[in-house]
Amino acid sequence: MPGVTDLTGDSLSASLVRAAFLAQTRLKAMQSRTARRYLELHALSASLELFKPGAIVPWVSYLFPTELLTSYGLTPLIPEVAAATLTGSDLREPLEAAAGRLPLARDVCSYHRTALAALEDNLLPAPSMCLGTTPLCLGKECLLEMLALRHGVPFREIQVPLPPDEGEAPAEVVTEVAEQLRGLHEDIGRWTGRKADLRKAIQLSNRASAAWGQVMKERLAGRLELDGRRTFAIVFLGQLLWGTEEGAKDFERLLTERGRRDVVAPQLAPGRKLKRLLWLHTVPHHDGELFDLLRARDAVVIFEEMGQMHLETVDPDDPFPGLARRLTDNVLWGSSTRRARLNVALAKRLKVDGVVHFNHWGCRHGLGSLPVVRAAFQEAGIPFLAIDGDALARGGPQQEKAREAMESFLELI
Amino acid sequence: MPYCYYTCNLLPLDLIVQSGYVPRWLGRYLASSPNSGPAEGLVVHPMTCPCVTKFVAAAENVLQDAQGAQDNCLIIPGGCDAMRRLGDLLAAAYPGRVFLLPLPRSSEPRAMRTLANDLRRLGDWLRSHLPEAGAEDAPAQLNSRVCAREDVQVHARGNAEVYFPESCPPVDYPSPPQPGGAFVIAGPLTDNSLLRLVEQCGVPVSAFESCTSPDRWRPLSGRHPLAQYEALAGFLLQTGMCPRRSTAERRAHLERRIMETHASSVIYARQSFCDPGAYDALLAADLASKLGLPFLEIEVDFPFDANGPLRTRVEAFLEAQLLDDELLDDALFDEASSLDNLPLEED
Repeated sequence: MPGVTDLTGDSLSASLVRAAFLAQTRLKAMQSRTARRYLELHALSASLELFKPGAIVPWVSYLFPTELLTSYGLTPLIPEVAAATLTGSDLREPLEAAAGRLPLARDVCSYHRTALAALEDNLLPAPSMCLGTTPLCLGKECLLEMLALRHGVPFREIQVPLPPDEGEAPAEVVTEVAEQLRGLHEDIGRWTGRKADLRKAIQLSNRASAAWGQVMKERLAGRLELDGRRTFAIVFLGQLLWGTEEGAKDFERLLTERGRRDVVAPQLAPGRKLKRLLWLHTVPHHDGELFDLLRARDAVVIFEEMGQMHLETVDPDDPFPGLARRLTDNVLWGSSTRRARLNVALAKRLKVDGVVHFNHWGCRHGLGSLPVVRAAFQEAGIPFLAIDGDALARGGPQQEKAREAMESFLELI
Repeated sequence: MPYCYYTCNLLPLDLIVQSGYVPRWLGRYLASSPNSGPAEGLVVHPMTCPCVTKFVAAAENVLQDAQGAQDNCLIIPGGCDAMRRLGDLLAAAYPGRVFLLPLPRSSEPRAMRTLANDLRRLGDWLRSHLPEAGAEDAPAQLNSRVCAREDVQVHARGNAEVYFPESCPPVDYPSPPQPGGAFVIAGPLTDNSLLRLVEQCGVPVSAFESCTSPDRWRPLSGRHPLAQYEALAGFLLQTGMCPRRSTAERRAHLERRIMETHASSVIYARQSFCDPGAYDALLAADLASKLGLPFLEIEVDFPFDANGPLRTRVEAFLEAQLLDDELLDDALFDEASSLDNLPLEED
């Protein structure tokens, strides 16, 4: 990946570098014709537009309903996605140097710390607005509001009450959140001066959700076995594309064997049994060796907790309650007991051989729920492994330790 | 009479008393925790702030107390993810005895309504857990019984009445705040040793901004019209302008306080693994820079330990301020200028 300085700006050379880089990525996508490759292409293509002078750059939290932006033709900048992408590129080194200079405690979430460092070092475009949701964590809300304050741009936070441990969030809570979303959608139009087409954005988002929901349904029923590490990447990048034509087509590609052929779970020779794992929380994006180890030991992540989003469509004529419901009842929102209950039920339904929880560096809500989640799996008699790590790290002693722990765990199950 | 322990003092203590409990800040019971290490009892991840880590052990101790009745309970105002998860953990371990009170970041009307509902829910929860639950006049009766207890005294201090001094964080100014001193910002502290350390360096404290500051706990320990939950919620959010709050509101609050107290420097005592504290320290550093004030950030433990390298850093920082003051002192300039008046040596 070229440097951002080569990709940004409105000069002819920047434009040519962008075109060449995109062409290279497009070629890969066209050669493979898989959903994963096309999602990469389209996410990259949309994100590069954010670097152009005068672009409107909405920094949003990971669970933000991005249809509210695509309604106005806007692409979101999600700090977590941006940080994971940049640390996987040639920009890793200057970014690490920038993070080292940052006067922010090193023990905060590395996604957020890295995104801030990237912004400070002009590796990411400055925000035009910062939009958050109380799910999933407080840290990113602190980051987003601080950025809004520093850059003198609007900040809005969708406040989502915690759901009950059992059952769905009450209807009045969903209505309250829906009203906030409605108001925010109007505000975005006022700030940008653009005309909204939310109905179209929702229809496109629904096409993607219907496809993804179908894939997840098949996976849950055991009729389709995909590699959860790779499907994680699809949902992760897909956050940038809900509500777009490209996103709809890319998710629909997953419905064909050809379109999903690079995400299918490995097929073992007769007589060998695949060890099926449920993966909780985020993944170490740049630790390929950990997942190579799984394959070498006849194991696979058969399902990922964070893939459980956009499983249902929403009403295009009245989209706000549906968008609100996705927030109020998100599987990672709510108490540790709720998270544990949902995941144990998921593990039982999938009949997995074990569960892995990735303890991402600095993630208080994830790490904080670990004791309750672990206890629930122990009580259910399902093997459980928690590995410490930094989702953005590449190499180092912690990853070595994680691989050793994983190796022992795979032997155990 | 059951005790109601609480972790964060963003609670109107009168609500607890009116509900029939004796309030107790959990931070007062850290030292007596027999299983203070993470090896025994409930275990939290090492990447958890020291405050929450110590509170787990303390909570286990008070909820398992052999002498304590099963009626003892714990309220955890969940202002940050770590505290919220602490509530989850303890609620799972001690079903029905832990109440998690969600605290919003903003003070807009919607947030205030939500908090008001949660306070009402808290009051109901507390009363429903009492053996006498169901009696219509229970709150009044219980309140009189509580106030008869020797550890619940009625004090008057300054303009604010303090009804439950033994229930509050034992942190007070060592001497009255003075304009022109160091403005100290911190997370929860168990005593005033940081403030004393500053004073021992010859610098007064201009104000202390912390959830355990007397400027916070004193107003919240008074009497409140409990029937008006929305007003109570508004008062709580106005008083509790802590790092978890909206950045813009927090910044405005800090700036106003620093200006009002004519602070000469800012010291930020931040706990490790604290998200709101980390971002707040950055905010305070920006603010100090804007106001032209020297800024020191230190990473502290819970309970605070005023010795070792940390003491040296504070001393060095404050000594540098004093030195600057002395060098820039008018008297010194007068003296220097007087040198100009010395007769020149003749060739």
